[in-house]
Amino acid sequence: MNSPDNVSSPEPVASSTLRMPKTRVSTDAQSMISSISTLPYRASNASVSSLFASTTTPTGSRAGSPSGGSRRLMSESVFGASPGGAQQLAPTDLPGDPRNLLMRAFIPHIAVHTSDDTHQMIKDKGIEGGLWELLRPFGERVHGNVTVRDSVGAGKTYDDFAVRFVQLGDGLEPPDVADRKSQEGRGIAQNGEKPDSKTAAQRLRTGGNIAQIETLVDRHLSFAEDYPTSKEEDYLNYKDAHVRDHNTPSPFHTLYLRRLLSGIPLAPHETFAHPVACIIAISSRNPNPIDALRNLYQDSTVGSKRLPPWVNGEYLRYYVLVHDEEGDDITKSMTLFDQMKKHFGLHCHLLRLRSSNCVSTDDDCLQLPRCEWVAASEELADIQARELEEDIEESYPYIYESDVTAIKTFIREMVSQSVVPSMERNVSMWNDQVASRRRGIGGRFMSLSKKWTGFGSSSRNSSGSGSPSSSTNYDPIQGFYRPDVPEAIMRKLADYAFMLRDWKLAQSTYDLVRSDYNNDKAWKYHAAANEMAAISALMLPQHMSSKVRAETIDTMLETASYSYITRCGASYGALRCLAVGIELLRLRQGSFTEDAAKWGMKLLEFKVVGVIGDALLKERIAVCYASKKGAGAGLWGSRIRKSALWSILAADAWLTLGKVQQSKRSLEDVTAKYSSLPNSNSLDQFILANNFLHGLQKEVQLALYPESAIEGSGNMEDLIDTSITEESEAFESRPHRRSLMGASGPPAISSLGSAPLNGETVFEEVVSPALKFE
Amino acid sequence: MSYYFAIIGTLDNPLFEYEFGTAKQGGDGIARFAEQARHMNQFIVHSSLDIVEEVQWGSGQMYLKCIDRYYNNYVSCFMTGGNVKFLLLHAPSTPSTNTTRASTSIAANPTSPQTEEAIKQFFGEVYENWVKTIMNPFYNVNAEVKSPIFRSRVVAAGKKYL
Repeated sequence: MNSPDNVSSPEPVASSTLRMPKTRVSTDAQSMISSISTLPYRASNASVSSLFASTTTPTGSRAGSPSGGSRRLMSESVFGASPGGAQQLAPTDLPGDPRNLLMRAFIPHIAVHTSDDTHQMIKDKGIEGGLWELLRPFGERVHGNVTVRDSVGAGKTYDDFAVRFVQLGDGLEPPDVADRKSQEGRGIAQNGEKPDSKTAAQRLRTGGNIAQIETLVDRHLSFAEDYPTSKEEDYLNYKDAHVRDHNTPSPFHTLYLRRLLSGIPLAPHETFAHPVACIIAISSRNPNPIDALRNLYQDSTVGSKRLPPWVNGEYLRYYVLVHDEEGDDITKSMTLFDQMKKHFGLHCHLLRLRSSNCVSTDDDCLQLPRCEWVAASEELADIQARELEEDIEESYPYIYESDVTAIKTFIREMVSQSVVPSMERNVSMWNDQVASRRRGIGGRFMSLSKKWTGFGSSSRNSSGSGSPSSSTNYDPIQGFYRPDVPEAIMRKLADYAFMLRDWKLAQSTYDLVRSDYNNDKAWKYHAAANEMAAISALMLPQHMSSKVRAETIDTMLETASYSYITRCGASYGALRCLAVGIELLRLRQGSFTEDAAKWGMKLLEFKVVGVIGDALLKERIAVCYASKKGAGAGLWGSRIRKSALWSILAADAWLTLGKVQQSKRSLEDVTAKYSSLPNSNSLDQFILANNFLHGLQKEVQLALYPESAIEGSGNMEDLIDTSITEESEAFESRPHRRSLMGASGPPAISSLGSAPLNGETVFEEVVSPALKFE
Repeated sequence: MSYYFAIIGTLDNPLFEYEFGTAKQGGDGIARFAEQARHMNQFIVHSSLDIVEEVQWGSGQMYLKCIDRYYNNYVSCFMTGGNVKFLLLHAPSTPSTNTTRASTSIAANPTSPQTEEAIKQFFGEVYENWVKTIMNPFYNVNAEVKSPIFRSRVVAAGKKYL
């Protein structure tokens, strides 16, 4: 911002790398930042900056209007005497609404399994990954309306239904490695084969790695620091009405959340990533089409591509014939397609695509849209590839408009005619055959008798190989339920219901099944069921009293986080559960926001997030407190001071990370919040606190405008010198904080950094308050 | 256990501040707050005024007990008649070697009934002295209290009960 050319000069990069070891905050930050700084930092590359710019300010993350804020609040606090549905939810019309985010995160996964000739054909079109990569961006919003029937038969129409296309076997991790943060742990595939380049690419598409999410958000933040684009600038300087407009989420938090929820790993304890359907595709180039289809089916069912035993193998197969418009005869393909229909039934489609590579100079070309829901590791790899790329012009591949139309029609037809109906059918079937039996009085008795006497064990126990608790269906040695036992089917039923947005059915089923998991001591299942029970209960658009909340939501979140962290060591699960829970609780206003803030603090105490997540969370807690509105002229019952405190903590954290722009924004929040208090200058008389706040403000000011350090800061009216020591402390510590950024500081800063100051001790002193209090 | 005691005026301004440590069980009465984090005490107390202003209308009591928590720091509150608040931040010390003895003490259990009772007695004694102090005809409302006698009485009360 102040010196945009600094990145192109290699010298500061080198110096910051050299200085790195003594300015570490924690090992986490160190490894993360150094891994970035070792990369050639060439953000001048146009394609990279477009990537950053578009992802930091996605269309969905900027709320149009803060319309959700006009509700009455606080039913049970003393100021909440006002009638009306306090914890009723506003409709999900806001783009930044976490419910929208959730609806687009937990969506049906459709695996794609193609023959080699199809892969080759798509590759000829310029898309390296094959058919799934071509389909993936279009699955993020199914064209047109999709009608879904819920469990009572009422149809509901959604215009934002989405599916996710993955390659068959994506997201697959051995259950025991799932929690490891290191990437090395993911090297070996489940069936013991050596990790070649193909499986490595598949690993990339698996999310659930907190460290990588942090690294990615850090890259975006660094970019926003160095190149505040007009939009970003606009956002950062969004001074007025900022306190009220807290419904506009920080783009970085949205990004963090989105990356947290994308690339859900394929795991036994939740079935979101399990395929709902599998596209089996051949192309018209295939000489032996029906056999090829059969082989592909065999492959996915019993062959090498078979999914692990805990994945229910009875998902829908959808057969696609990709017709090459340019190379092949349509009449031949039509005959073949008719033959396919005869063999495989209705779940078939003829997809007509042009096979030649489209370039941007062609008439009717469209750029392949960018995927919003990619795993953090994949996006990181993408950024790195783009930075190294020589050809700046090269961006996303282009495809023909006719292809786009064909693909959209195909996806729409498949989703609304095959995928959704088959999911509905499964839901009602499982609901009738398994869940309602379990719900009834007999089911309760069965589960009781199973618990106490082992009475119901005669027909079960198919997989309990030598385990002492033979009366359960859970296999404690391998750690999963087989997909055909009632517990697994009910989990799948609940997940299906959740994906079809039938929150009520999902909630009741999760609630039912979590006690079973508890009895079986299937802790990871237990944690995940609790997590989803809490989330689906919060998704229900009905009133909830704070008493009910304390009894259900809080207990479930508590159990989920405890099970995830203490019993399974799955910090990703705990983070996802609480991060989503916080957002959903915050939406409900009133005392729920306070609960959200409480969970935020708990999440910080768990120490599952890294430094970036820590700062983002602090910011989020501040937003949670700010969401609670006061009553009357005195704003009684609001949490402005709490919110301001957390904003200060966030500003401190951002400054420690060298993200000066973020820190500045937080401090502006603080100023706005304090001045909105009835006693706006009350903090001034708390001397130590006031000094600290002014010290922070000064440091940010110095970091942003280094020249003011030379002139002396007397001209800035909001930075009144309180003491000499404060000033010198700020002066000395700033360069070190800046250097944490891993990238480069402006020349003025790097020269300051080498000044003979006793930076080490001062740095300790300044940084530790933030660390101390956690 | 370390304590930070603040009297907050009606304009949210501090009238009196005092940091001390426990004098029970061989404590030396010195606060063990980390030097770099001392400003946090003020922040925490200031931010918990939000909670005070809400719960003060909920019960008819003057002693509101423990109203807020920030990580390991607990804030207890006592409302005086003139809307001046006594806030006591208490931070239990990290478990030391003699845990058996500490586990029953008020220092280790910041929310136990014994602790509540001790803090109540402390507040009661301070309140008595507070009323006597502000009866001084030269005292202005919301002015800082600098009386050394008041301070010494607060110190004595802290030694006696906490």
